[in-house]
Amino acid sequence: MSRSYGRQPHELRAIQITFDGLARVDGSARFSFGPISALSSVSGPIEVRLASENASQATLEVLVRPLSNVPATEAKALAATVRGLLTPSLILASNPRTLVQIVAQALVSLGSGPGPKSANANAVTAAVVNASTLALLNAGSIPMRGVTCAVAVGRRKDTGALVVDPDEGDGVLDADGCFAFMFTRNGQDVQARCVWTNWKQSAGGESVLSEARELASRAAGNVYDAIHASVEVMGKAKPGAVFPVHKEDATVEEEVNDNDKMEI
Amino acid sequence: MRPPSPSIPEKDFLYTSLKESLRLDGRLPMELRTPTLTFGDDLGWVECSLGKTRVLAQVEGKMVKPPPERPYEGIITIHPEISPMASSEYEPGRPSDEEVTITRMLDKVLKRSDAVDKESLCILAGQRVWHIRLTLHFLAVAGNMLDCACLAGIVALKHFRRPDVEVIGDEVTVHEPTERAPIPLAIHHTPFCFTFAFFPDSTIPPVLDPSQLEQRLSAGLISIALNAQRELCVLQKLGGVPLEPDEVLKIVAIAVQKAKELNSIVDARLREDWEGRHVEVR
Repeated sequence: MSRSYGRQPHELRAIQITFDGLARVDGSARFSFGPISALSSVSGPIEVRLASENASQATLEVLVRPLSNVPATEAKALAATVRGLLTPSLILASNPRTLVQIVAQALVSLGSGPGPKSANANAVTAAVVNASTLALLNAGSIPMRGVTCAVAVGRRKDTGALVVDPDEGDGVLDADGCFAFMFTRNGQDVQARCVWTNWKQSAGGESVLSEARELASRAAGNVYDAIHASVEVMGKAKPGAVFPVHKEDATVEEEVNDNDKMEI
Repeated sequence: MRPPSPSIPEKDFLYTSLKESLRLDGRLPMELRTPTLTFGDDLGWVECSLGKTRVLAQVEGKMVKPPPERPYEGIITIHPEISPMASSEYEPGRPSDEEVTITRMLDKVLKRSDAVDKESLCILAGQRVWHIRLTLHFLAVAGNMLDCACLAGIVALKHFRRPDVEVIGDEVTVHEPTERAPIPLAIHHTPFCFTFAFFPDSTIPPVLDPSQLEQRLSAGLISIALNAQRELCVLQKLGGVPLEPDEVLKIVAIAVQKAKELNSIVDARLREDWEGRHVEVR
């Protein structure tokens, strides 16, 4: 069973994280799984329209823009999904009567290239969620309970094996979905909690879902490590850091100012 | 939702410095910010930035049936998309005046100037033509998004390659990029747009490529689109401070010189990117 880039079933494609520093928003970040890339920006807390004002907490607005075409049903559905899964990790009650606006731009089109369209769609969903999390960390203006990371998982039709971050090299998938986990940290102890999934499978019982979730949880842990490492280099003039999947290989600059470190 | 207007000290400071031909970012009055072009993996994907202003352009093509009144020409559509990512003052779904101006100007510069040959996009007369769709996403707006958008648009069109199509009688065969190398669009000329800002005080000289603050405090903007062969495509001045004819001619002369420089930069970048791509010819 060979996968693209010579990957193992539990391995993700190379993660690339860039902090764009877009001029007119509070925080922005770009996240990619190999070629699947998403850019997200966060503005908040900012002034809110009277109609969407909430007296007890900040209003969270998520907009998703596809690469080509006007935002249609897919984009709006993705926006509603991302809004739902980011809400548990944000402490919105500390800024009532304000707006937190997250805009995510998909940098590849859904269903581009050969292979199943859904594989790409789940990878883009995961990239959008991770980019939004990074943008929120980059903005630093909205208090967060935890860090939400997402990965796509699929089950190959030819071998029946579960693989992480499937792409066209994995062929047709008979079960796939995206899992999102919220990571909270207490000192050195990191805990993950599944906050959302859109897993769908054509055959097999509930055990397939639990297996997939377990696999996704470990892969999401790798994403979390990459995000954690990237926060240390945020703000330094680095064009884009590529974070390999294994923690042992991660190369992070040693000259880190203790004042910049953030406990997440 | 409108952002607060520039404060009075900012206004005074800007006008005073401009009187002495000093710009806040250290540029000369007629100096363009250096454009940075980043190409993506897909052909026709380019991110252009002029300083902090950033625009992403993407071109894709598909085959459609042409309208009956123009059966021998392809279709080119331009879609500028501005979202609150560019700035929170842009609300989704409601085009502001600025956006409408930009849409119209892009239309004039890229479509009506016949930069791309539409007849070469015809596959089977009356039945199949190429529909080339250019989408522009404004990622960050820090003054002068029109120039950045025009640059990104024309570079993306030059970068794009469409699949090779073979027509035998009435049969149309579309070849995959792996079978036959995709071919570039037929581009007649490369138009570039240059925007100059004028200020209420006539002793202040005009500035090229205004930054966010300069654009907001300007009394009028004049945009000139031309190509490196000194052919003028569009000259747009929507209201603002009245200008003498000699001033306009001086500005056109400066734009001509800048167009030549920009053309060589764009060509160099495109060549560099193309050499980096692995194109196997069997």
